[in-house]
Amino acid sequence: MTEADWSRWMAAAQAGDADAYRRVLGEAQAWLKRFFLRRLPPSMVDDAVQDTLLAVHEKRHTFDPSQKFGAWIAAIARYKWIDRLRASNRAETTLLDDDLSVEGHEDQVTTAHALERLLGQLKPGQAEAIRLVKLHGLSIEEAARRTGQSATLVKVNIHRGLNRMNAMVMRGGDVD
Amino acid sequence: MSTDPLIDRLATDLRPVRRRTPWRDATILLALGVIEIACVLTLGLMRPDLSHAVQTPSFWWKTGSLAVIAAVGGATTLLSLDPTRSPRRGLRIVGMLALAALALGWLVDVVQVDPAGFWRRIDPAHGIVCARKIVEMSLPAVLALGLLARRGAPVDARGTAWAVGVTAAAFGALAFALACPFDDPLYLAVWYSVACGVVTLATRLILPILTRW
Repeated sequence: MTEADWSRWMAAAQAGDADAYRRVLGEAQAWLKRFFLRRLPPSMVDDAVQDTLLAVHEKRHTFDPSQKFGAWIAAIARYKWIDRLRASNRAETTLLDDDLSVEGHEDQVTTAHALERLLGQLKPGQAEAIRLVKLHGLSIEEAARRTGQSATLVKVNIHRGLNRMNAMVMRGGDVD
Repeated sequence: MSTDPLIDRLATDLRPVRRRTPWRDATILLALGVIEIACVLTLGLMRPDLSHAVQTPSFWWKTGSLAVIAAVGGATTLLSLDPTRSPRRGLRIVGMLALAALALGWLVDVVQVDPAGFWRRIDPAHGIVCARKIVEMSLPAVLALGLLARRGAPVDARGTAWAVGVTAAAFGALAFALACPFDDPLYLAVWYSVACGVVTLATRLILPILTRW
């Protein structure tokens, strides 16, 4: 299976070839699963894969067969991953649970490693605010008391920190 | 949870699609631009002293600068609708072009020495009207670029929104420049910048919500 095969199948899919489309989505599914296992907790991977496949379907007209299919789907997968990071900023849920040592241990460690690498490139105040609120599940007020920052500053640090992480991901600075 | 049923459903319901190309999008935008400028020229909106204005450096400064910013911004926008392309480099170039345009305007201002006082040159009463008209004339471009952005696959929604805003604002200002009787570089720098800033900022705030996919 080569990159050229993927591009050829996708071009055929754009013309309405269902078999080629089934093949390309099947290959994409396996690739996306590996991609998200390195970046998300296992419980979120299937949702992320399905969400990305739907995005691929919806935006299939934007694929240019003269491009590499791998680069195209990687860009979409990265966009969907950023979307999930942003959603975790709005939601009360946390990205990682405390059960890092139970089933799927290796994948979760990889996820944690990827996040730690990104956090390590932030300012200490931003990284600490994200770690306490998003990873350890503390409230804004608890994080403010723990860090000595005001509640507003904690919120600002989380917002700016996540934006910087998003920018790093956009530049391809996350794990491969 | 298996994704196989989803793949089956997507493949079964597959319909042929027309591939997006930046050139087709650019042609649509160009046609829109020609129509809007033709409307200005034919519907009596054109400034009455245009033949005299084309002999002044400030007319060419404002139209030339806006045309270049609109062209580079438009190219940046269209390229950013491909998920593998980022608008950031294009936006940096647009920012530098805007600064260069303002610097050039200062030179034009020095050449066209105007003895009038600051507030008379700024002329807020007319300036606000000009700014409002530029905002109105930017709306067709905002709408067209916004629709293209929704159809495309921008992965940097904020960057694309900045690019759409700058392009639409520059285009609206360019169309209005043919109707605007003011050539004072200070007046143009202030009120055109205000109008372009409003359009760009509003687009940056609203468009990412509408183009999320």
